[in-house]
Amino acid sequence: MSAVQILRNFFEKNGIGLGTFLLVAVFIWVVILIILPQLSMLDFSFRHHLPPPEMGGPKDTYTIEHYKYLVLGAPGADTSYNVVDLGVFGRTLIAAVFVTILDLILCYPLAYYLGQSKGGGFIRVLVLLLIIPYWINEILRAFAFRIIFGDSGLINEVLLTFGLINDPIDFIRANVALYAGLGYAYILLMIFPIYNVIESLDRNQIEAARDMGAPWWRIHWRVVIPYAKPGISSGCTMVFMLSAGALAAPQILGGPSSLWFTQIIYQWFNQGGNWPRGAAFAIVLLLTCIIIVLSMMRLFKVKIGDIGK
Amino acid sequence: MSRGVEVNLDNVWIRFGDFVAVREANVSIKGGEFFSFLGPSGCGKTTILRAVSGFLEPSEGTVKIGGRDMAGIGPNKRPTALIFQNLALFPLMKVWENITFSLEVQGFSKVDRRKRADELLEMIALPDQGDKLPSELSGGQKQRVAIARALCAEPDVLLLDEPLSALDLKLRQHMRTELREIQQRVGITFIYITHDQGEALTMSDNVAVMRAGVIDQIADGQTVYDDPATPFVASFVGENNVFRGTVKSIDGEFAIVDTNRSGELAARIATSAKSNLKVGDAAMMFVRPEACNIAPDDAPGKNRLTAMVKHEEFEGQIYNVFLEGSEGKEIKMSLVNIGQNRQSAEGKDLTLEYAPEHAVVLPAGELASE
Amino acid sequence: MRSEGYLLKIFLVVYLLVFFGYLLGPLIVMSITAFNSPSFPKMTPWECLTFEWFDVLANDTRILNGIKNSLIIGVGTVILSVILGLAGALMLTQIWPKMRATYYTIVIAPILIPGVVLGISTLVFWDRINVMLGFETDSFLNNGIFLTILGQSTFIASYCMLVFIARLQRFDTGLTEAALDLGATNVQAFRKILLPFMKPAIGSAAVLAFLASFENYNTTTFTFGKFPTLTIELAQKVRYGINPSISSLAFIIIVLTVIGALAHEIYIRRQQLALANGAPVKAVANGFKLPRIFQGNPAAIILVLLALGGFSTIWFAQVYSPQECILDVREQKRILQQQKIDEIRQQRLQQQQQKKLQGPDIFGSDKKAPSGSGSAPQSPGKGAFGDIFAPKNLEKTAPDSQQDSKPKNPGKGAFGDIFAPKNLDKTGPQENTTD
Repeated sequence: MSAVQILRNFFEKNGIGLGTFLLVAVFIWVVILIILPQLSMLDFSFRHHLPPPEMGGPKDTYTIEHYKYLVLGAPGADTSYNVVDLGVFGRTLIAAVFVTILDLILCYPLAYYLGQSKGGGFIRVLVLLLIIPYWINEILRAFAFRIIFGDSGLINEVLLTFGLINDPIDFIRANVALYAGLGYAYILLMIFPIYNVIESLDRNQIEAARDMGAPWWRIHWRVVIPYAKPGISSGCTMVFMLSAGALAAPQILGGPSSLWFTQIIYQWFNQGGNWPRGAAFAIVLLLTCIIIVLSMMRLFKVKIGDIGK
Repeated sequence: MSRGVEVNLDNVWIRFGDFVAVREANVSIKGGEFFSFLGPSGCGKTTILRAVSGFLEPSEGTVKIGGRDMAGIGPNKRPTALIFQNLALFPLMKVWENITFSLEVQGFSKVDRRKRADELLEMIALPDQGDKLPSELSGGQKQRVAIARALCAEPDVLLLDEPLSALDLKLRQHMRTELREIQQRVGITFIYITHDQGEALTMSDNVAVMRAGVIDQIADGQTVYDDPATPFVASFVGENNVFRGTVKSIDGEFAIVDTNRSGELAARIATSAKSNLKVGDAAMMFVRPEACNIAPDDAPGKNRLTAMVKHEEFEGQIYNVFLEGSEGKEIKMSLVNIGQNRQSAEGKDLTLEYAPEHAVVLPAGELASE
Repeated sequence: MRSEGYLLKIFLVVYLLVFFGYLLGPLIVMSITAFNSPSFPKMTPWECLTFEWFDVLANDTRILNGIKNSLIIGVGTVILSVILGLAGALMLTQIWPKMRATYYTIVIAPILIPGVVLGISTLVFWDRINVMLGFETDSFLNNGIFLTILGQSTFIASYCMLVFIARLQRFDTGLTEAALDLGATNVQAFRKILLPFMKPAIGSAAVLAFLASFENYNTTTFTFGKFPTLTIELAQKVRYGINPSISSLAFIIIVLTVIGALAHEIYIRRQQLALANGAPVKAVANGFKLPRIFQGNPAAIILVLLALGGFSTIWFAQVYSPQECILDVREQKRILQQQKIDEIRQQRLQQQQQKKLQGPDIFGSDKKAPSGSGSAPQSPGKGAFGDIFAPKNLEKTAPDSQQDSKPKNPGKGAFGDIFAPKNLDKTGPQENTTD
């Protein structure tokens, strides 16, 4: 089928008006909102940091200085690598993996419980309770954790009152608050994909496995988890991507010594004023996340089409 | 008030990529006729219907309705109305809105539409149900609403795609009569798709039997049943005992087949095979269970078989007797229950006989796999 | 076996408690801090029930302005992303199979792309377009609202699309064919069949889009320009000094969310009830019988209780004045402080007396004593404030009036007014002499 024929079929099927609307809307979304901005950011990340009047001038050439900076640091620095930024980058990724695992461990049992129970009022209330926190502003959720984990926060006050500790524990500096807050923020994104898959698992399969004498952990290992794999990997992908790309929680809950990579990007844009460098860092973050997610999907043999179900 | 128009398929081929869904279909349906396409699922009958209704264009050949070539005319411009397999009632519209949807898109006023809806509801014996939603109706009621909706468009041809398949047996049989009545009353052409031979035979003036994209036979029900054109038709429509073998001799209307396991048997040559059946050809002989009878004596003959009774089934109006002939050949015989108070013959040997004019010989071919 | 079952049950209960404690605890704690009087949001120690933080919130112009911007951007984002999401979902059903996987990957990607990246790319792209077109830096292409709507819609449209796809999967394309077969045009079939079918999904996608837009931070923080949204303002506040007015905002949002969720739950429940009974939805809706709706519908009961609680709280807030309690607490604190000061004073006094007895320094320290802490006896019956400020006042005002402010009125400013009586004690005679 030629492109023209496809197009003709398309318009025949939808009519001129609707067909045009669909094409235009999808074009705007895919090309103008998704693809071009990403390409433009990629292009921008290879430019020199120039004041606006010089943009497009003779000095506006391509360069890899920003990528070099991320790896090697400022020219003439003491260390041969950009230890600070690379360290933050690595720490961010590791922390995001940690948050993902935390959420998975926390959510899998509940998703299984919800998915396999027969419904009813109690389950609906649970689902409602799950959804409600998700609609509270991200900032406010982080703020709540600050109230709880702060120096004079709930936990410290309680511990002090009972005399369990003499001085407040600095949860913020220890990043406890940050992990708790990040894990909290993405619980729902972990639960629902897994829940949706497990819900469609035929209960008889579990019964059959139990009937054949499998202990509960083997039932999960051999029956439930393989079946729920698309949901699990979809949930993990989303939680990982979002926590690696989180900005609000680290800004509010992060300790003074531990930066998140997104905060560095933010600083290049809002405080450093060096947009191309910020763009370069953002590209690195984006590509790294994509590579990690794709390799995870390859590893677990899951298709992109399973995401977002 | 016969408003029916004829429908003609001339040399219609429909392909999906490399797959041929319909091969060289030539059908002419007379105006006001109840015409059925009968075949197993996947035989291409629904594809033909979609070509008639305009949802797809034939790859080759022409579809004519009322003598007019339909090429390039969309489904919304054709004088056809389709009743879908799942009825496709609009779930969010009330019954009366469903029925008069065709008027709504033409811009008729609400008052007119309501009036017409009430008339049609009267006709399908569902008065005062117009304000319900389709989900609140029973299966048979939905069925009738779908018919009314299609008729409301005042089509010249009504297309029905297995519309009774979702109903239970009793209702299905009731709806058969009802559909036939409606067809006779409105007098338009009905094209009916089904895999149920009972439906096709009871309702239709003419039946086209299809197999894997090919139309094997077009004839009235009686002919299809008694004088099948191919082994497929013989085995698909109704039950048949099949005996494979070769033609030993031909004597006018009749042939003697040397069957592989049951000796030599005589049967009438099917009309379609009269001109080309030759001695020595591989052939199939078909005897219907109800054509068999218990012979009065054990003398051998060209229309007799001996077999042992494996078991019997009592079905009410008939007894089904399952027998095993020589070399394990399975044979089924149906005896009408006329109150003779039959004694079970299980385990006994029996001699069966049949009238050769009630058996058919065809050149060997593909059977319906059931 | 049996004990194992019990163990499992106990484990389940504990797990559910921990999980939902983690999930809801922070929200509850935050809500409670909105009613506690300390100016730093804390739950312990509980001091006074107060509603003043709601007042503070209501008078915070930046928050109000943020809400306004958020609403504008929210509406824009809803419109844009619902349209794009719907078109995207419809396209997915039509695009030819070879392209489908690629297309799906592209339109689902914005959900996975970090929000900061979307914000940056939107900012950079439109800035470049702006430069290319030669517009001023303050053209609409650099407008915060415009950029934020585009940036947010990029990924919110994907969320909407997912909602639409889920609904479309349940759509019977036979319905569209039936409509076409009955003579409808493509547009008519779309408008009369598909669109009504998609209506609930459009509603939920719109709600989803609005909420997602309202709470978005990562993308907006790069694009908002001169139009900070509520979330941006909140983030600024939370990062640079916090007070419980944010808790009170959180409380309001939580209550609204809970009410919304419950209302939705009731709606769903009622439809299910209607379907289960085989009765038309309308019949149930018309015959609004309370008992029937409450039967097996915990959400409705909770909602009514919540409404009652809300009304009584508002009534209580009108009647109740925390002033007394706050003063009380302040008084207690003051007393505590006073006690400490007194203790210190006592100690010093003792030391001084000891010194007095011991050495020749008596006069020096004696003269200091009345001017410092020993002035209490001079003005008996005064409040703690008076006690604290009086001595300093004495020290400073007295020399002033002596040296250069003779013609000045004794009772000029607030300070003068308050401390006038004390001033008079000493300045009085001096004035007399000058006159």
